[in-house]
Amino acid sequence: MRLGLWACAAFAAVALLGCGSGDSGAASGTADKGGSKPSGDLPLVVFSQANSADPWRQQFDAETKAAADKDKATFRFEEQAAEDDPNKQISQIDTLMLESPKVLLVSPAEVSVETAIAKAYDKGVGVVLLDRGITSDKYSVHIGGDNVDIGKQAAEYIVKRLNGKGTVLMIQGKGGADATNDRRNGAMDVFKKNPGITVIQGDDCKYQRQAAQSYMETFLQSGKPFDAVYAHNDEMAIGAYQAYDHAATKPKNKPLFVGVDGCQQEVIQMIKDGKLDATFRYPDPGPKGIEVAEQILKGEKPKDKKIILPTELVTKETADKYLADHPGLAK
Amino acid sequence: MNRTALLKTYLPTLQKYQGLVGLLLLMAVALVKSPHTDLPGALFHSTFYSTGNLRNVLSQLAVPGCLAIGATFVILVGGIDLSAGSSLGLLNCICATWLVHGASTPITIAYVLLVGTVIGAILGATIGFTRLQPFVVTLAGMVSLRGIAFVYTNNANISGLKDQIAFLESPWLGIPIDGWVLLVATAVAAILLSKTVFGRRVYAVGGNIEAARYSGVPVNRVRIGAFAINGFCIGLAAILFTARNSNGQPSAGMGYELDAITAAVVGGTALVGGYGNVIGTFVGALFIVCLNVLLILDGVSYYVGQGWKGIIILLAVYLQNLGRRV
Repeated sequence: MRLGLWACAAFAAVALLGCGSGDSGAASGTADKGGSKPSGDLPLVVFSQANSADPWRQQFDAETKAAADKDKATFRFEEQAAEDDPNKQISQIDTLMLESPKVLLVSPAEVSVETAIAKAYDKGVGVVLLDRGITSDKYSVHIGGDNVDIGKQAAEYIVKRLNGKGTVLMIQGKGGADATNDRRNGAMDVFKKNPGITVIQGDDCKYQRQAAQSYMETFLQSGKPFDAVYAHNDEMAIGAYQAYDHAATKPKNKPLFVGVDGCQQEVIQMIKDGKLDATFRYPDPGPKGIEVAEQILKGEKPKDKKIILPTELVTKETADKYLADHPGLAK
Repeated sequence: MNRTALLKTYLPTLQKYQGLVGLLLLMAVALVKSPHTDLPGALFHSTFYSTGNLRNVLSQLAVPGCLAIGATFVILVGGIDLSAGSSLGLLNCICATWLVHGASTPITIAYVLLVGTVIGAILGATIGFTRLQPFVVTLAGMVSLRGIAFVYTNNANISGLKDQIAFLESPWLGIPIDGWVLLVATAVAAILLSKTVFGRRVYAVGGNIEAARYSGVPVNRVRIGAFAINGFCIGLAAILFTARNSNGQPSAGMGYELDAITAAVVGGTALVGGYGNVIGTFVGALFIVCLNVLLILDGVSYYVGQGWKGIIILLAVYLQNLGRRV
C-alpha cells in the first residue's frame, strides 16, 4: 500500500509542477503563451527586479507590468525578483539570457550584478538599467531619479513654509546608502544658505516606519522644540507623525511633516487629511523603461545614455490629481 | 509476494535514490514545459536541454553544491549548521579584501580555506565541550559571524577586484571550472565517507552516539572533523562566490544554510543523522537548481516558486520517514 503512496506522491509532484507553470500567467503577469512557446513569435523583454518587498518596488512592479501589458501584441514580458541578493540576481539573469531576449530591463540589487549585465550586453541584448546604476559602461540606457534634486526641493519647500526661520529635524535613511546621502546633502545645501534654519541630525532609522516611530517617541521626551520633520522617506515620516500623534505633550503648533517617495495611497491619504504636509515623488523608472525597450525593439538607438526623471511635489491641493495620475500606487 | 513484502524490498532502494527519482521526474516535466529554441546544441529543441543551460546550471550549482556537501557531513554526525551562510559572508569578505590588497591568488585561497576549516573546527569543539545542541551553538555562530563580517568590512562592500580569480568562471572541457571544483569535491567527499575509517565513524556517531562511544569511537574528534570539513567546504564555496560576484559583501549568503540543508534532505540524507551520502546531496542540489532554472524559463514568479519548494521539501522528508516510524 505504501508503494502506492509513493506513486501517488510522484504523480502529485508532476501535477504540481504542471499547474505551477500554468498559474504563471496570473502570478507573474507574463504575456500569453502555451505549454511550449514558439520561439520566433514575439520578441521577448525580460525584467530582473532587485526585490519586490518595499512599497516603492511594489508600485514599480505594478506600473512596469501595466505598461508592458498595454503592448502585449508587440512583445512578450517576463519578470523575476531576486530578494536583494546579487548572487541570486546573477543566476536569474544568466538563466533569462537562455531565452534569447531582445531587451533586459534590470534594477540591480548591487553593483556586483554588473558581471551578468556585461555578459548580456556583450551578447547584443539591449540593457536598460532602472534606478540603481553600475560602475561599468556596458549598458544601453540608465533611467533613474535624482535624489540630490529631491533633497533640494524638499528643503526649499520647508524653508518657504517656515518663512526662513525654524528648527528642522531630519530623520535619516539607511546609513551609507546613496539615496540617503543624496537626500541629505541636497537638503543641507539649501538649509545652509538659510541662516534662520537650524537642523537637528536625527538617527539612522533605516527607512523603517517602526524605527522612526521609536526614535520620535524618545525625541519628543526630550522636549526640544522643532518646527518641521524632514524624513528621507514616507514610511519614516508616517512613523514620526504617529509618535507625534500619540504623544501626551505636543509642541503648540503642529510641525510640518515632509517625506519622500510618494508611492503609497496611504501617504497621499494622510496628506489629504492634513496629517502629513508634503511628499516628493521618487519617480518610478518602470514605464519609461518599457518605452525605451520598445524603441530598442524597433531598432531605434536611444538618444541619451542617462535619463533623469523629474520629481513631483504632492500637497493637500495636488493630492487628488496625483492619485488620478498614478493609479498604480501601492496600497 | 504481498504488498508489505514488496514495500520492504523496494522502499529502501527508492529512499536511497529519491533525489534521483525527483530529478528524473523534473527532467521529464522540463521536456514538456521548457521553452523551445532553435540554437544549435539543444536536445529536443528545448532551452532546458541546451549546452548553454548545462553551463548555466553547473555555474549556479557550484556555491550551493559545496555548501550542501559540507552540510551533509554535519547532518550525518547528527548535527546541523545554521552558521554556514554567515560564515560564507565573512569568508567572501576576507577573500575579496586579501585580493584587493594585492595578496597572491594561491595564498588567498589557502588562507580562506584555512580560516573556514578553523571556524568549523571551533564550532565542532564548542559543541563537544559545552554539550549544547548543535542547533544552539551554530545559531550563536550565525549571529556572531554575520556581525564580524560587518565589523571586518566596516559595514561596506569590498570592491576593486581585478581578474585574479576570474579563471574559476571560465570553461574547461565545456564545463566551467567552478563546476569542476564541485565535481571533484563531491568525489573526494564520497570516497572519504565510504572508504575510510573516519567515514565509517561519521555514520556510527550519527546513527547511535552512545553505541559509538561505548565501542571506542572518539565521538568528539569525529564531530570536530565533520564540522571542520564543513568549514573547508564553506571556504571553497566562498572562493567560488567571490569569483562569481567579484566583490565582497558582508550580507552575502543570507539564508544559504537552509538551501544547503534542503539539498541534503532532498538528496536522501536523514536529519536525525547516520543515514545518507554526498552523491545524493549532489543530486539534491542539482534538483533544486534545475527547479529554479525551469521556473524562471517558464516565467513563474520567484515567490510562487518558493511555495513549490516548500512542498517538495515536505514531500522529500515524508518519503524519507516512510517505513521508519512503524
